[in-house]
Amino acid sequence: MTADRPPRDPGEWVLLSYRMPREPSTPRITLWRKLKRLGVAQLSDGLVALPADARTREQLEWIADEAIEAGGTASIWIARPATHAQEHELATSMAAARAAEYQAVIDHATQATGAANTAAVVRRLRAELRRIGRRDFFPPLERDRAHAAVHALTDEPGASVPKAASHREKNA
Amino acid sequence: MKWATRAGIHIDRAACAWLIRRHVDKEAEFVFVTDPAEVPDDATPFDMRGVQLGHHGGDCSFETILRHYELTDPVLWKLAEIVHEADLDDERYDAPEAPGVDVVLRGLSMICDDQRILELTGPLFDGLYEYHHRGMLLGREPS
Repeated sequence: MTADRPPRDPGEWVLLSYRMPREPSTPRITLWRKLKRLGVAQLSDGLVALPADARTREQLEWIADEAIEAGGTASIWIARPATHAQEHELATSMAAARAAEYQAVIDHATQATGAANTAAVVRRLRAELRRIGRRDFFPPLERDRAHAAVHALTDEPGASVPKAASHREKNA
Repeated sequence: MKWATRAGIHIDRAACAWLIRRHVDKEAEFVFVTDPAEVPDDATPFDMRGVQLGHHGGDCSFETILRHYELTDPVLWKLAEIVHEADLDDERYDAPEAPGVDVVLRGLSMICDDQRILELTGPLFDGLYEYHHRGMLLGREPS
């Protein structure tokens, strides 16, 4: 970045502030799982954030309604971090969370290299990459590495050979 | 009858509008609002926060409308699985069509206004309905 370029303002974020009854715990856990799945950054207890767009806002709005239906309270806010440093910190923590998820995919792909049922592993890991991709707002370097690792698995001769080999045996 | 929903429609709202027009109100007229406060008094709101015909108990609005109007056609419930997965993507159902339908709707929302999306998605949902209707009658994938 050049020094004379005016710094971009921090972007808009959508915040969900919510509170759920402690008991029963099931709706609270269900809601937390949904938030995890969306890839939210947790700002504090009962306050989560996503970069604001039509879709993330809608996702959090439905979850807000769900909290209210379960006897809790919830509100949606559109906010701008006061400083770049604050926004950077948020983005960094989200990228780190995704990086760990991608790393798990890389580890699985590495373990599966040369294994017999590679095709099934590839299907599972591709689905996992799609899931992670949907909540990946600040892609870390691990993203490309994870995609490459799964792709490398599809090029493995082991991915298709066992099936063909058993087929030949049957006809022999 | 007048029906109101949020502007900038995606899969759930497009599918709901199709469902309303085909199975609830043939004369349905749709208005799109950006703020829930803009819903006309004589309109029934759907797929908006805090309304009866919205997301409830893990269901998307399409499923809520099916339940509310007691529509039991199994083909509609099959379509509900696709809409649910495209909209919520929570893997409650196995609906391989969902990611494709979702991308088509997201793409259309980039090039069309809401009325035009309803015109284009009418035949899309008619076709999906027909496909799954035949599939159920045959008990296998229709050709």
